[in-house]
Amino acid sequence: MTGLALSIARQEMGLDGEGALDSGAAIEAFLKDVEARAYRIAVMGVRDRDEAFDIVQDAMIRLVRRYAHRPSVEWPPLFYRILQNRIRDMQRRRTVRSRVLSFFGGMPSEDEFDPIVEAPAPSNENPLEHVAADDAMRALERALESLPTRQREAFTLRNFEGLDVAQTALAMNCTQGSVKTHYSRAVHRLREVLADHGEEYGNE
Amino acid sequence: MSDDKDASRFEQSAKRAFDESVAGLDGATRSRLTQARYRALEELKPAKRGWQWSLAPVGTLAAAALVAWFTIGQTPTVPGDLQGSVGDLELLLAEEDLEMLDEELDFYGWLEEQPEFASAVDGVG
Repeated sequence: MTGLALSIARQEMGLDGEGALDSGAAIEAFLKDVEARAYRIAVMGVRDRDEAFDIVQDAMIRLVRRYAHRPSVEWPPLFYRILQNRIRDMQRRRTVRSRVLSFFGGMPSEDEFDPIVEAPAPSNENPLEHVAADDAMRALERALESLPTRQREAFTLRNFEGLDVAQTALAMNCTQGSVKTHYSRAVHRLREVLADHGEEYGNE
Repeated sequence: MSDDKDASRFEQSAKRAFDESVAGLDGATRSRLTQARYRALEELKPAKRGWQWSLAPVGTLAAAALVAWFTIGQTPTVPGDLQGSVGDLELLLAEEDLEMLDEELDFYGWLEEQPEFASAVDGVG
């Protein structure tokens, strides 16, 4: 690495005074912009607010620790890659836990999802959030749950987060062609599932 | 064409539903997220980020001790099994996953090019 490149890298990493301010402010603005959407995506992925919160926090910490020095244009795909990995980790861990517990008897398997048992406790329920999570969103969430993981990820990143095909491919660690295929299939399947919600989802 | 238009309308509706659900997040959740953000930004501070550098004096002392050891003509003997065990232990205790290797390689590449490091290595070898 040349001296100039090193100097630039040091500035980007925030090792120099002004560079530190710029880099810190930029990544803070980025996190502030994505945190609420990331949290909502994580809640959809793990259906538990506390776990979703932990996932988002962990993703933010990892992004700052590892990639703060990278050009800011790389942050969205990197952040969502970390986020999706953490969501998948949590889902796998939960599946394993569920299998172990059902093996030892007594506990319901993950297929036996009981919405009443799984519903958040009253203290965790917020009226504003409850009002905002209207029928349309709940229907969409249910439809998303019926999709294969990769289709769900492609739809979430492309549609909800607004990443372009190249960024989504980087976030999902696959080719742009795969992203297009997953996304197209996801849209097709979701429209089928949500056919009953004609007005809300623009179906004729 | 009509199907494309319908698909596009569907995508817009889905995006709108999602954005509305995000906008409806309560203050407590937003506050927790803000705290999480600040906690993440702590990683930028030198005390957190530069823990490796705090080990520099220890490294220097260790290098000096090695140089002294070689200059008096003795070779440190570390049993092969023990070397392997130490390596395994480091791997087991490592918090970071393999993604970190890319960045660390960059760092060690840079470190190797530093004149102080090169002279220290020459001195030892």
